[in-house]
Amino acid sequence: MEIRCGSEAKGDCLVVADSDAGPKIDVSTKGEQLLEAGLRAVVEETLEALDATGLSLEITDRGALDYVITARIETAVRSACPKTAPIEPTVERPRSERDRPRRSRLYTPGSNPRLLAGVDVFGADCVLLDLEDSVPPQEKVAARILVKHLLAAVPFAEEVWVRINPLESCGLEDLAEVLRGHPHGICLPKAECEGDVAQLAAELDRLEKEFGRPVGSTWIMPIIETARGVLGAAEVAAADPRVVIVAFGAEDYMRDIGAVRTSAALAYARAKIVAAAAAARAQSSDTVYADAANMAGLIEEANQARELGFDGKGAINPRQIAPIHRAFSPAKDELSQAQAIVAAADAAEKQGLGAVAIDGKMVDKPVLDRARRVLKYAEKLARGGGRDA
Amino acid sequence: MRNAVDREIPERIGSRAVRPFAGATATRNEGDKAPRPQKWVYERDSKLLSSIDQAIEATELSDGMTISFHHCFRDGDRVVNQVLDACARKGIKGLRLFPTALFPVHEPVIEHIKSGVVSRIEGSMNGPIGAFVSQGNRLAEPAVLRSHGGRWRAVEAGDVAIDVAFVGAPQADAYGNATGMRGKTPCGSISFSTVDAQYARKTVVITNDLAPYPVHPMEIQQGWTDYIVEVDEIGDPESIVSGTLQLTKSPTRLRIARLTADAVVASPYFVDGFSFQGGAGGISLAVTKYLGDAMERAGIVGSFGMGGGTKLLVELLHRGLIRTILDGQAFDLDAIESLREDAGHVLIDPGLYANVDSCGCATHMLDAAFLGATEVDLDFNVNVNTHSDGLLLHGIGGHQEVAAGASMTMITVPTLRGRIPVIVDRVTTVTTPGEVIDVVITERGLAVNPRREDLRERLAAAGLPVRPLEEIKAEAERLVRPIARPVFGDEIIAAIEWRDGTVIDVVRKVEGWT
Repeated sequence: MEIRCGSEAKGDCLVVADSDAGPKIDVSTKGEQLLEAGLRAVVEETLEALDATGLSLEITDRGALDYVITARIETAVRSACPKTAPIEPTVERPRSERDRPRRSRLYTPGSNPRLLAGVDVFGADCVLLDLEDSVPPQEKVAARILVKHLLAAVPFAEEVWVRINPLESCGLEDLAEVLRGHPHGICLPKAECEGDVAQLAAELDRLEKEFGRPVGSTWIMPIIETARGVLGAAEVAAADPRVVIVAFGAEDYMRDIGAVRTSAALAYARAKIVAAAAAARAQSSDTVYADAANMAGLIEEANQARELGFDGKGAINPRQIAPIHRAFSPAKDELSQAQAIVAAADAAEKQGLGAVAIDGKMVDKPVLDRARRVLKYAEKLARGGGRDA
Repeated sequence: MRNAVDREIPERIGSRAVRPFAGATATRNEGDKAPRPQKWVYERDSKLLSSIDQAIEATELSDGMTISFHHCFRDGDRVVNQVLDACARKGIKGLRLFPTALFPVHEPVIEHIKSGVVSRIEGSMNGPIGAFVSQGNRLAEPAVLRSHGGRWRAVEAGDVAIDVAFVGAPQADAYGNATGMRGKTPCGSISFSTVDAQYARKTVVITNDLAPYPVHPMEIQQGWTDYIVEVDEIGDPESIVSGTLQLTKSPTRLRIARLTADAVVASPYFVDGFSFQGGAGGISLAVTKYLGDAMERAGIVGSFGMGGGTKLLVELLHRGLIRTILDGQAFDLDAIESLREDAGHVLIDPGLYANVDSCGCATHMLDAAFLGATEVDLDFNVNVNTHSDGLLLHGIGGHQEVAAGASMTMITVPTLRGRIPVIVDRVTTVTTPGEVIDVVITERGLAVNPRREDLRERLAAAGLPVRPLEEIKAEAERLVRPIARPVFGDEIIAAIEWRDGTVIDVVRKVEGWT
């Protein structure tokens, strides 16, 4: 049976596998003398990892990175020979801190090698490799294998997440594949109730054991994007300790309730999600701003989201990350004010005073707590290596 | 012998004795410039000829002579091929071709090399001719590649004596004044030919638009022009200039552009009177745009922007963000129109632009410059001439003089092109030495030359992702298996001159692969 996988688009490669022909391996690329030996090495290692022998493979390279080639071959071989076991790459990715800054989540289609190459360089706090809406049905299988190998090949400096498909469509297959790449977390689209999160958490428990990861190490980001989801936000956020952040998806929600996208129409859902997340000691992330060309609009919406209590916002284009980070980072005066409050509190404690005052004004406990939180957050941002978008 | 960038250079290349590169400013050429030919024409109507063939006869062009051309029609040029075809028809052999640059459109030159019409080339070769020459044993002597300023210097110094200069001109009058800024197919300035027209034994202007006297501006003056020929076609307007140059859409390239603009803004040079050079590449255009916005926000007015003139540079002039454009060549129609209309848009010839053997050229006044490369190595040496496969494929342009002149020279490159790493241990060919490069900017961060600790501290303090070049290189190499390396033989394909006429590197023939 002949199977074709990948494409001849720049940054990709086309693999044609035939289980009834061969054995032979043909590799063609621009700049054969420079590249052929390296390409062949990737092909041979991949076939060895798949324990696949005796088939015919034609690979047409268009400047694909190693992990793209490996993924394309694995996809083709597994469809040509369905009994082939998936590759389980070696990945060393420490789990991430529960409470780290998550100002931005950058969506990238998991099926497009060109857009995926360099997805780690833009400085997003959360890189989000998407298997859901941006991947057409016929590319779901290839995309989840590509994402697995990308996860294995790229040591992300910040967090990397995978948005799987809803569990009732092909989310479970997505999960079984990509968890081999040890993402920091999984985004669950269209989360509506405790049961949705619980089902995902149970599956994660099982797969973490299977792949030798500490149980509970993979975070969950439920995405609230339906009317039911908004009403169930509190139970979704509190459903499992893996939930570290709850995200809002406005586009689907607008369609679901039949509203026009205005800030008034979104106000209820936003407030509900922020409160639900805060009650569950999780973070919250606002919806994406879809017009990548309109920076002023993005900045306005990001500032609003921050004022509402969100900790971050989605991005569909790397250019949106810097303005989002600016909106969700403590401003200089905010920082200096927090430093002054904490310093005054420390001084008061040393002197054995019960009350803290600045310029003769009493500082309440919630204000002090907030100041400590700002400082801790700023310290985390600084510790992130100063990787600013 | 080893030169100052540790390259093995022979003492002779072909018929010339080699002066090895000694350092970016270590060699000071002395003595007088070469004499120019005495010319005398009194009559008003004796210069106009009816064909290129007639011009070849009138100039007594014959075997072994040197003929020169400018590249201002770029990949749309029709002049070089017409002249060489005429030479071939007349049975002339062994010509030395001395263009400012050759493009893919000049592929027919290959046939003229094979048939012996052309036996030597001194000039940039972009594309197929470079690939052909790289096969070795094609030319009587190795090719010589010079920068824009270096070529001007070589003519003035008498390193290259031009027999006949052919000057394609979008508009000319019958007494020999010529311009690139008017006519049916304008290309911007044609002052790349200014030095040729003055030093050549004979100068022939070839135009498709013979206009009433006096044609101006006079990049080429009547006093230098022996003959004028009117032809149907000098170039394809579609390929001479772009209608609109495209900003890159690639997120990684835009990130490089953003980091570059941020680095400039964080530098000590970003103050009132700031100056910069931008090109027409996708990254360069984006940097120019970002810089303009940053200047507006900071309330800074630049003293000059240097071109390749582009629409984006012209917009900065019109917005009052730069006082002047110094323009050596125009890349789009907006730039050409602005050259004609805007008092602040100043035409400069390559001598004023880039000649090191002078009391100072314009690139020496630059604060910031952002340039491309095919490879950069861990010593910050830059290659723009060859690819990692060892083939000669690009010219130098103004790379050397801009890099040498600017206070802050940035090389903007992606870490990978397809599967080919751009940051390498040692560049295949050194075009520009690391000592004049300050920062390498990639999508994975910036690396500052250890020579510029001051700049490194400044950029790091501004929160820019400053990293060791080795680390950026290693990060890219993790994504691709190592590529093979060419094994070079002894035969020299081309000499790469530094702007002062010393040899910074040679390109050797590829004999095999490791």
